[in-house]
Amino acid sequence: MHSEKKLTKEDTWRPADLTRHIREEGDDNERRRRGGESVERRRRDPEKASRQERDKPREISREKRHEDQKYRYSDRRKEGSRDRRGDKDQERKDDRETKRERDKLVAGQRYDDDYKRRDREDKQDKEKDKERRREKEKDRERDKERHNEGQRDKRGGEREKERRTEERDKEHRRGERDRMEKPEREKTDRHLGSERHKDEYRDHRKDKERRERHGDKKDLEAKDESERTEEKRRHKEERERRHREREYQDEKRKRDSESREKRDSKGSGEEVRRHRGDRERAERDKRKQGRQREEDKEGEEEPQGNPHRDGVSSKKPASDKSHKQDPKTEAAEDEVSADQEYEDDFEEYEEDFEEMDESPGEGADEGEQRHPAAGEEREELSAQRRKEIEAIQRAMDEENQRVGAAQSRQTVSTEEEETPRGSEMGPKREGASQRGKFIDFVAAKQREVSKKVSTKQKKRSTELLRLIDLDFSMTASLLDLPPVNEYDMYIRTFGAANTRQAYVQCNEDNADRDVQTEEIEVCEKWTQHPPEHKGACGGKEKPNTMSFMFEYRVQYLCFLFLTDPNLSHEARNKGEMSFDSQRLTAFLRSASQVMVILLEEDRAERKSLRKLSSQTDTPSFSDGSLQLNTNLSFLYGRRISLVHFSQAQRHTMMSVHSPTTEPSAVRLDGCTVICIWNIWEPSRPQKVLVYESEVQCCCFSPGKAILVFAGTSVGSVVLWDLREHAGAHYRLTIGEEEWAFRQPTFSTDAVMAGSSHFSSVTSVEVVPSTAPGGLRPEVPLLASVEESSRLSFQLASLDEMGVLNFWVVVELPKANEAGSPTDLGLRPGGKVKLLHSSRLLTADRVSPRDAAKAGPLQTLLLRFLPTDSNHFFIGTNMGLVNHETSHGLKAPPKFYRFQEAGVRPIDVTSIHFSPFRQQLFLVGCGDGSIRLHQVSREHPVAEWKNGTAGEAVVSLHWTWTRPAVFCVLDAASTLHIWDLVKNDAEPVVTERMDSDRVTAVTVFGDSGQQSIYSGIALAHESGKIEMQYFSRHFTVHIEGEEEKLESMMAEGF
Amino acid sequence: MEGSDTYLIRPNHQHKFKPAIVRECIREIVRERLSGKRYEPEEVTELSRSLAECIKDKVKNAGFDKYKLVVQVVIGEQRGEGVKMSSRCFWDADTDNHAEDVFINENLFCQAVVFGSYYY
Repeated sequence: MHSEKKLTKEDTWRPADLTRHIREEGDDNERRRRGGESVERRRRDPEKASRQERDKPREISREKRHEDQKYRYSDRRKEGSRDRRGDKDQERKDDRETKRERDKLVAGQRYDDDYKRRDREDKQDKEKDKERRREKEKDRERDKERHNEGQRDKRGGEREKERRTEERDKEHRRGERDRMEKPEREKTDRHLGSERHKDEYRDHRKDKERRERHGDKKDLEAKDESERTEEKRRHKEERERRHREREYQDEKRKRDSESREKRDSKGSGEEVRRHRGDRERAERDKRKQGRQREEDKEGEEEPQGNPHRDGVSSKKPASDKSHKQDPKTEAAEDEVSADQEYEDDFEEYEEDFEEMDESPGEGADEGEQRHPAAGEEREELSAQRRKEIEAIQRAMDEENQRVGAAQSRQTVSTEEEETPRGSEMGPKREGASQRGKFIDFVAAKQREVSKKVSTKQKKRSTELLRLIDLDFSMTASLLDLPPVNEYDMYIRTFGAANTRQAYVQCNEDNADRDVQTEEIEVCEKWTQHPPEHKGACGGKEKPNTMSFMFEYRVQYLCFLFLTDPNLSHEARNKGEMSFDSQRLTAFLRSASQVMVILLEEDRAERKSLRKLSSQTDTPSFSDGSLQLNTNLSFLYGRRISLVHFSQAQRHTMMSVHSPTTEPSAVRLDGCTVICIWNIWEPSRPQKVLVYESEVQCCCFSPGKAILVFAGTSVGSVVLWDLREHAGAHYRLTIGEEEWAFRQPTFSTDAVMAGSSHFSSVTSVEVVPSTAPGGLRPEVPLLASVEESSRLSFQLASLDEMGVLNFWVVVELPKANEAGSPTDLGLRPGGKVKLLHSSRLLTADRVSPRDAAKAGPLQTLLLRFLPTDSNHFFIGTNMGLVNHETSHGLKAPPKFYRFQEAGVRPIDVTSIHFSPFRQQLFLVGCGDGSIRLHQVSREHPVAEWKNGTAGEAVVSLHWTWTRPAVFCVLDAASTLHIWDLVKNDAEPVVTERMDSDRVTAVTVFGDSGQQSIYSGIALAHESGKIEMQYFSRHFTVHIEGEEEKLESMMAEGF
Repeated sequence: MEGSDTYLIRPNHQHKFKPAIVRECIREIVRERLSGKRYEPEEVTELSRSLAECIKDKVKNAGFDKYKLVVQVVIGEQRGEGVKMSSRCFWDADTDNHAEDVFINENLFCQAVVFGSYYY
C-alpha cells in the first residue's frame, strides 16, 4: 500500500523539479537548522503540511491580523520562500493552488512580516519535506545508503544531509519510529514494506527512539542552542499573544468542528478521523500542563503511529475535500483557518517545547520551567475566558469519551487503525496509548505464533505438494433417478400392483406379401388302424394316376401288413399292437416292392381280362395278354425289328421301329424310331427316340434303365440319355398329344473315324461289372437310384468285320448347353458320352482254313458271360460261337461248334444264357438248329435240328421263371415253346401266327419271390406289340427242373 | 532439520479408505433408519443431519487412520421427477476415495456419500 503510493508520487515528480530541489537542499537545511525543528515536529510534518495547504487562505487572514507585528527576520528568507514558491507553482498546476499562490504573493508583498515569513517558511519547509519525501521515495535506496553512512559517520559536513535523509525517512515512515528502525533496517536491509517486522521492532524501538533522538538532537541542539533560545523567547511572546486570541476562537473551532462532523457524519472514516484530529488538537491545549508526562510516554505511543501511514496520506485528500468546501463556507472557514493557524503555531511551539524537553536534563528542566510560565500566561487570561475554555474542554472530553466508546465497539482492525492516530497527533491520549500498547503485546504474540504456524504449514504444504499429485477425480455419478413417465405414474397410482400393460403389433406396415414358392398341393388322405372294415384308408379321388397308384399301394400295404400271418396273429392274441420301428421299415420296404408288383399284376390282369373278353384267338400258352398302343401316327407302317427288355427294370421295354419308305404325316421317314415302354402303361410309350439310320441292335444301361445304346447299320454307336428333359428335344404335336422325339445324346458318327466301326454294328452289349466268379448282377428295384448317380460301366460294340470296341460310358458333371468343343459327338446339353477304351479284332482268330471255305467271316452276335465279363462269345456266320477273352489267357474251348465236326456257313442268329444256369447257353442258327452249350465244353450239351421244322431261328429266349423252358421264334412266325422237363426232344407248344406275322419276340417276367409272372412280347408285322402272359404251367417252378438240366448236361458228355 | 522431515504420504494398507466397507456402513445405517419411512419435509432436515453424524461416527470407528471424512446425505421425496447427482473431487487419487450408497423406497430416496481425504 505504502509502496504503491510511493510509486504514484514518484510518477508525479518531475526530473527538473527534482534537480532544483536537490540544489536548494542546502538552503533548506540551513534554515531548518536555524529553525531547530524537532524530530517530533518533523514527524508531524506531512500532516501539518497538508493542514497548512488547507490553511493557506486562512493564513492570509491570519497574517492580516498580525500585520503590526514586526520580526527581526531577514529578507533572505522571503527571497528563499519566493524561490520556493516558484517551485511550487511549477509543482502544482491546480487552479486552486495557483490562486492560493497568488494570494500568498500578494500577502508576501503586502506584509513584510518576519514572523509571517518565518511561518511561511516553515510551511514551505514542510512542503519541501513533502516534496523531498517524494524524491526520497524515488531514490530510496540511495538515500538509505546515504543515511546509513551518515549514521555511522556523523561528521559535521554530512550531518546536514544526513538529517535531511533522516527526515525523509521519518516522513516516509510517519515519524520517529523510522529512526528506531534504522538499526533494524541495517540488519534487515531492504525489508521496507514488510509490515510484519514492525511488530518485532516495536520493543526495541521504545528504547532506541529516545536514545537516538537524543543522540541526534544533541548535536543539533548544542549548535543551535543560542539561536533557539532566542527564537524561543520570540515564540513565547508570540504565543502569549496568540493564545489570547485563540482562546476565544477555540470555542468557535469546536463548534465548527462539530458542525463539520455533522456535515460529514455520513462521510468516510478518514474524515471522522480528521475531526477527531481536530478534537484532539483541542484536547491538546487542555493537556498542555500534563505534557511533561505525555512526553515520557510518547516513546511508547509512537509505535502505534506506525501502521497509520495511510492515515496521513488519506488526510491529504480529505483536506483537499475541505478545500473544495472552502468557497462555499468562506466566512466560517476564516474562523476555522484562524483556529488551525493557531494550532499550527501552537504545534510549532509545542515542537520547540518538546525539543527542549527531550534534550536530556536541560530539556526537562526547561520544560518544567516553561510550564509554569505558560500557566502564568494563562492565568493572565480573563476568568471569563478560562471558564469558557474549561467548558469547551469539558465538552471535548465528553465528546472524546463518546467517540472512544463508539470506537471501542468497532472491530479490532479499526481499533488498531484508530489507536495509532494518537501517536500521529503527538502525545495525547493516555488511555488510548495504553490500550494500544496492551493490544500490541498480545496481538504481536498471537501474530507471531500464528505466523510461525502458518509458515510451518506453508512449508509443509509446499514440501508435500511436491510429493503428491492432486488431480480431478472422475465425475462420479452419485444418483441417477430417471423421471417416471406419465404412464408409469398413472399405473402406479391407479393400476394394479406389479402389472404392466403392453401391446405389440407385428408387421403392421407389411401390407402385401410375396410368396415365391409354388402352391403346395394338398390332398386329403386318411387311414385307419387297425382297419375294422375294408376301407382302411381313403381320400379324395383324383384323376391323377400316380396318386391313384399311391393310394392303391397304401391300401395294399395296409392290407398286407394286416394279413401278415405272424403279425396279425400276435396282434389278435394280444389285442394290441406293439410297434417296432425297425421292423416296420423293413416291412414297408419289402411291402412296397410287393405292392408294386401286385399293382402291376393287378393292372395287367385287368387289362388282360378286358382283352380276353374281346379277343377270340388266344394262344394256347397264354394266360392273358396285353397290347401296347402302337397305333400312333409316327409308328404307322413301321416294322418292329427288335423288342428288348431291361435287365433290371423288368417292366421297361423298348421297341425298335425300323424306318419306312412310306410317306407319313410325320417326317421321320428315314429314321428309326425307338419307343420306350412301361408295360404297365401300355397306352402310350414313355419316350420316343429317333435316329437317322437303321438301328441294328440296342440295349439298356445296367441297373435303372436310363440310358439306351444302339448300334447302327452305318457303323456308329449311339446312346440316348432318357433323363434329358423333353423340352430340350424336338417336339411335335400329333393329334391331341405332344411328343418329344429325342435325338441321340451321343453318337460316334464320323467323330471317331479312327477308332469307330467301319461296318454296320451287329451287337452292342453292356460289359457286366461282375468280377470272375462273382454273382449275377441282381439289381434290386430300389437300389437303382444310387447306380444311376454314378455311371461307370463299359460298353462293347461289335461290327460285322469282327472289330470289337470297348467304350467307357462317362457322365459329365455338368451339361453344356452350348455344346462341347471337344466332344463333337455330344449333343448340346447332353451329359453322357462314350470314350473309346480299346479295340479288338476278333475275326482274325478264326482259322484261315475255315475262312477259306466259307468266305469272309462275319461276326453277328456278341454276348458276355454274365458271371465273368472277361469272357465273351461271338456268334459268327459259320455256325460257330467263338469264345474269347478281353484280356488274359485264352479260355479252353475256342469255339462252340456243332455236334458234328466241320464248319457250315450258317449264321448264328441268337445266343441266350440261361438265367438260372449261367454256364448254359442256347444258340439258335439260321438253319433252324438249336444247340444247348455249356461254357466249358466245345460241343453242345444237346442239339435239336428239327425244332423249327427247318425254319431259321429268329430269336430264342429262356424264360425268366422256369429254368427248363425256352421260346423260339422262327422265321415262319411260329413260336415254339420248349419244356425240357416235359419233353427234351421237341417243343411242347408250337403256335403259328399267320394272321399277323410276328417279327420279333422277347420274353419278360420276374423270378422274384413274391410275384411270379412271365410272358412273351410279340411284335407283329402290323406294328402291334402284344404281351402274352404265360399260363401257369410255364411260369410256376416245377420240382426237379434243374436236376433235369444237370442230367442233360451230364448226358451230353 | 526441517529439510529432513519425513512425511507419511501414503496410508497403511489396512488403514486405507476402503469404499466397500464404508458402503456397507452407509447401507446398514440408512436401511435401518429409513426403511418404511415416509417423506416428512419437517423432519427430513434433522434426519439427514443425524444420518450424516451417524455415518460419520461409524466410519470413524472403521479405523481409517489419518482420514478426514466428509459425509453428505441427501434425502429427497420420490414423486416421479428425475434426479441427477454427481460429484467431482480435486484430490490425491492414490489415497483419497469416496463411497456412496443410495436407498430408495416408494416415498423417498436417500443418497449418502462419504469422502475420505487423507491427512498427510
